[in-house]
Amino acid sequence: MSRAPITERSMFGGYAPPLRLMSGAERRRWWLGHWRLAVPAVSSLFLLLFMTMPLPLPLPIFPELGLIAIFVWATFQPSLMPPWAAFLIGLVADLLFAQPLGVNATLFALIAGFVRWFEVRYGHHAHIFDWALALALVAGFEIGSWLLMDLGGQPTALAPLGWQWLTSLLAYPAVSALCGRLQRTILAADGGR
Amino acid sequence: MDWTPAPRRSSAIRRDQNFAIIGAVISGAVVATGLAMLLLARVNPDGAVRVRGAVLDIVAPIWAVARAPVDGVGRAADAVGAYLGAVSENRQLKRDLAEARAELQRAAADRQALRQLRRAEAVTEPRRRLVVTARIVSATPGSVVRTAIISAGAAQGVKLGQPAISADGLIGRTIEVGRHSARLLLLSDPASRVPVLISRTGEAALVKGDNKPSFELSARAGSDAPLKPGDVLLTSGEGGIYPPGVPVGTIISREPPWRVRPAASPLGAGFVRIEAAYQPLPQEAEGPIFDAMVPAEARRQGGVAGTVRRAESGDGAGEREGGDE
Repeated sequence: MSRAPITERSMFGGYAPPLRLMSGAERRRWWLGHWRLAVPAVSSLFLLLFMTMPLPLPLPIFPELGLIAIFVWATFQPSLMPPWAAFLIGLVADLLFAQPLGVNATLFALIAGFVRWFEVRYGHHAHIFDWALALALVAGFEIGSWLLMDLGGQPTALAPLGWQWLTSLLAYPAVSALCGRLQRTILAADGGR
Repeated sequence: MDWTPAPRRSSAIRRDQNFAIIGAVISGAVVATGLAMLLLARVNPDGAVRVRGAVLDIVAPIWAVARAPVDGVGRAADAVGAYLGAVSENRQLKRDLAEARAELQRAAADRQALRQLRRAEAVTEPRRRLVVTARIVSATPGSVVRTAIISAGAAQGVKLGQPAISADGLIGRTIEVGRHSARLLLLSDPASRVPVLISRTGEAALVKGDNKPSFELSARAGSDAPLKPGDVLLTSGEGGIYPPGVPVGTIISREPPWRVRPAASPLGAGFVRIEAAYQPLPQEAEGPIFDAMVPAEARRQGGVAGTVRRAESGDGAGEREGGDE
C-alpha cells in the first residue's frame, strides 16, 4: 500500500469517470468512495465542536483546536484543506462561537492560503519547525481576530487572548498526533491509487 | 536568432499552472467575501438569526447528552460530601435560621409599610415573570465571545433580550434563540452592560465585562463617595431587560479601577431561570439607522429606503442628521 499523499490527480484516478456508462449503484459507489476526502474537514469541525464544551473557565483559555487542525491538515494534505474549505469551516466556527459572521472564516482562509504558499518555499516538516510555525500563526490569529472583531462591530480586549495562545502551545502536539493518526489509518488506505 | 525561444512546457505543467492560478483567484475571492460579510455584520448585527438558531439546535442536544455522565459523577460526589458534612452543616444551618427568622420579621414589617406607601402614591410596577428554568449545556471557553447555551428555546417561550438569573445572581441575557435552545451573553463579555445600584450608597453605575474573571465598574453617577471592598451591587432595573434587585457582584478593589467579583458563576450554576424582559422597550424604526452624513439629494427624496427616518413635517427628512451639524 502506498503512503503517498492524495493529490488532485490521484483524487479522481487521473481521468474523468465514464459516469454515463455506469449503473446507478456503480455511480453511487464511485461518489461515496470519495468520503475519505472529507476527513480533514470533518475532523476539523469535530475539534471546533469540542471547543464548545461546558467547562467552568472564567477566561477564554481553551486552545484553538480548530485552527491548529486546519494548520496541520494544510501541511499534511494541502489539496484537502484549500482556503475555500477553511473558509467554510470558519463560517461554522463563527456560528458556533457567536462571533460576527466572517471573523474566523476570513482568518482560517488566510491561514490555509499562507501555509500553502509557505510550504512550497520553506516548509520542511520537522516537528519543532511546524510547532513554532503553528504558534506564530496562532499569535497572528489572535491579533487578527482582535482586529476583525472590531471591524465586525464587537470590539474585545486583546490581553486575555494571550492565555489562549499559551494553551494552544501545549495543545499542538496532541492535535498533530491525532491528525497524523487519521492520516495513517484512514487517508493512506486510499492514497496514491 | 538573437533570443532564446521560451522552453516548451508540457501540457501537464501548463495544467498545474492553470490550477495554481485558479486556486489563487478562488482564495482571494473567499477572503474578500469574508471581509464583506464582516462589514455586513457591522451594519446589521442581527443578520443570519435563523441560521444561528439552527446551529444552536444542533449543538445543544449533543452536549446535553455528552455531559450527562459527568453530571452523574458530580451528583454522586455531592451525595457523599453531603453525608460527610451533615453534622457541621446542620449546626451552621441552625445558626443561620435563627438569624434569618429575625431578618424575616423585620422584612415583613417593611413589606407592609412599602405596600401602604405604594398604595398612597399609586405606584405601578411591572412584574417579574418566569418563562422557563433551563440547564446550561455548553459554553465557549475557546472564544473571544463569552456565551453559554441553554436547553430551552422558542418552543418554551424564550425570546431575544430576556434576563437569565441563577440562584446566586445575574448570569446574562439571551442573544440567540433556536427552537429548543438559546444562547446567553454572559456578563463577562465585552458587549455586556448592566445598570446597577451600589446598595450601600444608592449610586447608579454600569457593570461592564472585559473577558476577565471579574467585571469592571464604570459610569458612576452621583457623588464620588469612595467604595469599599465588599460593597454589593444589585441591578437597578433601568434599561428594561434586567429586573431590579438581582445581585450582580461585590466590589473587590480598594481604589478607582473598581473591579467587581461576580455574584453567580454561570458555569457552576447548572440551572438558570429565564424571565420575561422586565419592561421591554417599545419597538422603534425597522432596519438599521446610520449616523453617517446623508447627501442632500437623498434627504430631499425622503432618504435611502429604510436607512433614514422620514420626517412627516418640516424641511424634508434628515432631522437627525441636521441636528448633528
